[in-house]
Order: sequence, then structure tokens, then C-alpha cells
Amino acid sequence: MSNNNEINKNVSKKESPLKKLSFLNNQIVYLIIVIIFICVIASLLNPKFFTFKNFLNIMQQISILGILTMCMSLLMISGGLDISIGNMTGLLAIIFARLVLTGKGIVLGVTVAFVLGTILGFINGFIIAKSKVTPLIITLGMDYVFLGFALIVGGGRPHAITGQFEFLGQYRIGGVVPVSIILFFIIFLFAFSLRKYTKYGRRLNAIGGNPQAAFLSGINVDWHIISIYTLSGFIVGFTSLILISRLGMVQADVGSNFALQALAASIIGGITFEGGRGSIVGAFFGVLLLGILNNSLNIIGVSSFVQTIVLGAIIVAATVISNIGKMRRQ
Amino acid sequence: MENKIFEANKILETRNITKEFPGVKALVNFNFDLYKGEVHALIGENGAGKSTFIKILSGAFAPNRGEIVLGNEKYHYFTPNTARRLGIQTVYQEDILVPPITAAENIFLGVEEISEKKFFIGYMQIFKKAEELAKNIGINIRVDEIYEKLSPSDQQFVKILKALAQRPKILILDEPTQAFNKNDIGLVIEMVKRISKEGVGVIYIAHDLDEIVEVADRITVLRDGKKIKTHDRKVESFKTDVLANEMIGRPVDLFYKKKENPIGDYVFEVRNLKLKPNHKPINFKVKEGEILGVAGLKGAGRSEIARAIFGALKKHEGMIFYKGKNITPTNPIQAVKSGMALLTENKQIDGLFMGMPVCQNITMVGLDKIGKLFINLTKEKKLSAEYVKRLNIKTPSLDKEVKFLSGGNQQKVVIAKWLFKGVNILIVDEPTHGIDVNAKTEVYELFTELATSGKSIIMISSEMPELISLSDRVIVINNFEITKELAKDEISEANILSGFIGRK
Repeated sequence: MSNNNEINKNVSKKESPLKKLSFLNNQIVYLIIVIIFICVIASLLNPKFFTFKNFLNIMQQISILGILTMCMSLLMISGGLDISIGNMTGLLAIIFARLVLTGKGIVLGVTVAFVLGTILGFINGFIIAKSKVTPLIITLGMDYVFLGFALIVGGGRPHAITGQFEFLGQYRIGGVVPVSIILFFIIFLFAFSLRKYTKYGRRLNAIGGNPQAAFLSGINVDWHIISIYTLSGFIVGFTSLILISRLGMVQADVGSNFALQALAASIIGGITFEGGRGSIVGAFFGVLLLGILNNSLNIIGVSSFVQTIVLGAIIVAATVISNIGKMRRQ
Repeated sequence: MENKIFEANKILETRNITKEFPGVKALVNFNFDLYKGEVHALIGENGAGKSTFIKILSGAFAPNRGEIVLGNEKYHYFTPNTARRLGIQTVYQEDILVPPITAAENIFLGVEEISEKKFFIGYMQIFKKAEELAKNIGINIRVDEIYEKLSPSDQQFVKILKALAQRPKILILDEPTQAFNKNDIGLVIEMVKRISKEGVGVIYIAHDLDEIVEVADRITVLRDGKKIKTHDRKVESFKTDVLANEMIGRPVDLFYKKKENPIGDYVFEVRNLKLKPNHKPINFKVKEGEILGVAGLKGAGRSEIARAIFGALKKHEGMIFYKGKNITPTNPIQAVKSGMALLTENKQIDGLFMGMPVCQNITMVGLDKIGKLFINLTKEKKLSAEYVKRLNIKTPSLDKEVKFLSGGNQQKVVIAKWLFKGVNILIVDEPTHGIDVNAKTEVYELFTELATSGKSIIMISSEMPELISLSDRVIVINNFEITKELAKDEISEANILSGFIGRK
């Protein structure tokens, strides 16, 4: 009896108001501190940094990468990953551009982007679930396949559709807030709720944490893996539309850097390769950090070559720091 | 000076070691000493502080207070490197060596002076030295075999040899006999005695009290992080009931006395199950509210049969019926749907989501109960708290990750997971493997309660007391076939053992 009381005491002790903020785990706190630090430095060096206009600017710049990061994070939480999402975005965008340019119409273009994105995601998921080969290898291969197709479809030339499809990427609501930011937030909230509040998300998490235990718990592991890659493909289709709408013109390798950047943002946000860990909120701040860093370096006039080095160093530092935190917890 | 009273043969002393984790006092003012050439056993329930203590000695944890005296030096904490340098070697149960290289290479990994060659590996040399090392402590293994091809018990020997290759002064063995059959535990005990005769001080941790009594020169009992008593063979003869009593803090009966559970009609049937074409068909039935014991040696096919029944392993042929209805599952999804549960032997590997909180583990199979599409998180907390209370799971909070719980409590989380879903047939594989006496009794009580409430339990076990005291009927498996079926009044150790070898 005394044991029971003790547990109740222990269980209730934790129900403090702070618990509501439990999603702000250590990694996210670090991230916010780093982001504030960068903001302060950048503002001191150039007062233009800390303005509402620049803030919107940053958010618009990261919206495409942000949406892809949400895909990557969901995949990583379920123990997978998809290196091909960048070139998949490029392939879908270039197909869209060709359809529009050859007069097949925007409606068909949009439909094809969504349907084909879903199918490509399904193919990735199906191969990974059924072959049990590590997703890194499969999607690396598929990445080349997609890039190759994009080169064939686009003939290696840039394709401009300037002025024909601008709403998703360039329209500003009330002349102020870009639509793409709203879309990013919608996808973020979707991914967040999916992970945290749905049975589907919980099962993905379980599969990422321990696939064998998930299998023996009666979870349909293959179905979940295939469906999350498929969902990711669907969102990539959507992203390709925002991308081409924003740029007005595409070439085959337009998305080549996205996959690794999305991977980096997820890792910076505390999501690990082992799966089953990390939060969507963390990934959101990961993207935000990349965006703010990029923008502030631009504003204070650091060359893009140096920026590349800084990006790499940040990835290494973030993973090392989170690993130190993990070791300390143990 | 304090050091002057440090006796010549005393190689280690800890004074007032205290280690606290958030919400838990793992060790409180713990005093411990170790002499040259003795085996000092450390016993206690899961969570009593044994693991914390050896982790402090091996440098994985730093204590909050207290000091460690070793040689003539005082330390407040060790790093893994100091521990190693000072001659402390720890063999953990969960240690993993390098699987695809030979046993001998594993043994001498990191011991540079073994080979005269500077850069290359002198295979012949290390094979010879490894063999010598093994012979010295009276064990016989193939040191030139690839590590992962060795049996679990031989792998355990290799781990111990690897520690010995570092010529330790202090050897810490954490449950060294877990990988062994009851019959082979004697080999380990022999070996440990030889090692201590060579002058090494051995700290020995195990759950089996008979084993402890046989191997130890002194026994220290830990409970809730505090030292209860140290027994010395020179002064008294060890008594298992006294030790168990001290571990738990109340009198305990090692043989569980089960309350009668009412048994109904046959509800569950396995018909003509064959895993491979050349196996004999397996047929058995289980009644409502019955606990069917499944005996047999490790490797007799018990776990495989359980997995095949559950649809997790491919069967050649065979059908499963529940209340006359064919429910033969081809995968665990179907098995779970038709009310079956499989509690595997290695819960940490395939039963639990170690990185997920207690409450999420409990609700994992029965998610349908707390939401259609979205999870009702409040309901999840509320319901899982009920199971934590009902099963007496000791956890600081519902949000604690399961990996921080002790083995016994982890097992209770696995059981809670299936109870939450609601099941009719529980297949449990070695349900008390690696958990302490007190937690065992609680698991037995739980099973009795479940049987009484009309559930059927198929219990695979290697523990005789468990099979005898808990089962309403026992079947014995040998080489993928049933060699014996024993009714309640026929269940005895001798009858079960005779089934281990013979055929029907």
C-alpha cells in the first residue's frame, strides 16, 4: 500500500506547470539562445537586420527548405530518410514548367506535380519497406535517377514561366505577408500535430525507435513506412509548385542542395539518425537558424563561399553539442 | 593518517559513497571493501543500487559524495581511464565485442605488448596466448573462432578473458551467468574461484542466490541504495532465506504459493503446427483461465514455436483456433487483432520502446482505446497512470523513458502494454528472466490474477520453481516436438526433466 502511495506522489509531483513546456527540451533551448545571439550580433553590425521587413524576408527564404525539412523530419523520426527529395522537387518543377510552356495548362501541371510526387514517394517507400535496405543508399540512388530524368525533361536548359504562376511563391496577403510563409506554417502545424497528437504519428515514432518491437506489437510496419514516404512525396509535389512559382524559372538541378540542407536542419533541430527521437518544433528552429544565419551573413556582407563553410561548421557543432548532451544524460 | 590502518590485503575501500539522480537516491553512504583474492558478491533487488555502484567503480558515473580508496590514494571519482589504469575491469552483461573478428583478437584488442610485430597482427602468437589464458582459468573454448559464431555462453567467457588480458587487480562481473544454462553455471563458478585464487579481487553480481552462496567469500546486501549487511563465510554459513529476507525487507517464500484459479473449458487450440516439413506436428489445447507451462531446454524450439503461433515466424503448416474459430495469424497484426499477446524473452530488444516514455509504451498496442485519429493525451495519461498503479510499476513519472527503469519494472510495463489492449491469450517467454525475487512474486501474482479473470496463459520457462508452482498443466518440448504432457498432480522436477531428453 505504501508503495502505491509513493508512486501517486511521484507521478503527481511531476504535474507542474513547467511540464506544459516539456517540448522545449535542451536542444531547442540551445538553438533559441544561438538564434538570439546571431540576431544581436547581426543587428549591431547592421541595423537593417532587425526589421519586420527583413524578418518576413527570412521567413520567405526558408519556407521551401522548411517544408522539405518537415518531410525529412517525419521520415527520420520513423527511422528513415530521403536524400532524393531535393532532386525530386527539381524534377517535378521542371515537368510543371514544360507542361505550362507547351500549353497543357496550369491545372494539368498542378495535378501532375501532386500525383507524380505521390507516386515517386510511394516508389521510394515501397523499395525501402520491402527490401529492408538502408534508406540512405536507396534514396541516394533514386536521387540520381530523378536528377537524370530532370535533365532529360529539361534538356539541360533553364525554363522560364515568368508571370504565369505567381500566387504560391510571390503573392503577399494584404501586400505584406507572403503566401509561402503561411503554407510553411500550415505544413509545420500539420507535421507537428501528426507527430504529437495522432495514432499514426505515434506508431511512426515507435517504428523509428524499435522496428522489431513495433512489428511484434501488431503495428503494420511496412504500411507505415510506405505511407510516410508517399505522404512526403505528396508534400514534395506541393513544394515543387511553390518553388517554381517563387523563382519563375527552373533548371534540372534547382533542388540539388535541398535534401542535405533539410537533413542538416533536422539534425541541428535534434532529430537523430537512429529514429524515434527529436521533435518537429526542434526541426523548425533548425531551419530558422539556417535562415537567420544565411540572411545575417548576407546583410553584413560575408561572401557566399564563406557562408558554405559556416553552414558546414554549424552542422558539425550542433551534432557534437547534442551528442555531448546525450552523453551527459547517461 | 587514515591510510595507515589500510590493511595490506585490502585493495579497495569506498567510504560514504552517495549518488543521487533526479528523484532517486541510487546509493546512500555506501561503504564497501574488497580484499585480494576474494569473491565479494553484491546482491539486491533491481534498482537497489548495484549497477550504480559498479558504474562508479568503472568510471561511468561520478558519485555526489564519498571517497574511493585504492592502493594508497584517495579518489572522489574515477574516469573510465583511471579505473582501467588502476586495474579495475568490469564485464557487463550487455557488453558487445567486435562480432566479425576472432575471439582471440577480441581478447587482446588494445593490449599492444602482446605481439612482437609493431604494426601487423601476429595471429599465431595471440591464438597461443589466448589459449593459455583460457586454460589458466580452466575453460575450454575455440579462441580462433569468429566471435559472433560462438555460443552465448562462450561469448561470455571471451568477455571475461578480455578483461583478464588487462591483468586487473579488481574484476567486476555483472550477472556473468545470464547466458548460461543452469547446468553450466558450475563452470562459471569454478572459473571465478580460480581467478580469485590468482590474487584478483572479484566483485560478483547475480540474481540467483544459490549461485551467490556457492561462489562468494563475502556477501553484501543492498536495499534501496543502502547497505543492509555484509556476511562473511568465515564467520557464518550463508542462508538463502536470510539473504532474500534482507534484500526485500520482509520475510519471503522462495516457492510461490499460487491461489487456486478457476479453470473453464478448452478455448485455444494449436493444431498440427509444423515449423519445418521434417518436424513432428505440435498439437495442444489451453483452457480458459489456465496457465499452461511450457518446459524445455534453451534451443529446444520453445521460443520459435511461440513466435510461429503468434505469426511472427513463418510456419510450414498448422492452424490456431480460439473458441472454435480459425484465427491462424500470418503476421502479428492479425494475432493482436484476435486477442493474442506475445511477451518475448528479450523485452529490451523486441518488447519495449526504450527511448519512449512509460505511458506511451503502455498505450502502444491499444492506441485505439484512446482515440480514433488523434490521441486523447489526457486520457492516455489518466489510463496509463491506472496501470502504473495497478501493476505497481516504480517510475519517477509517466514521462520517464523506459530505459531508465529497472528490469522488473520494465517487464511490468510490457505486461501493462498488453493488458491495456485487452487480450485473451498471453504467450509469455521466460517472464522472469533477469528480474529480482520481489518483482518475480509480483509477476506471479499478476499472472494468477489474469488467469482468474479468464485469460489463458502459455508460459515458457526454464525455471523449475516457476513451472511447478504456477502451471496448471505442463508440456515439455524437445527438438521442436512435445515429448511430455503433465497434469497438475504429475508436475514435478523429475517428470519435467525426463521430458527434456526422451521422445514420447
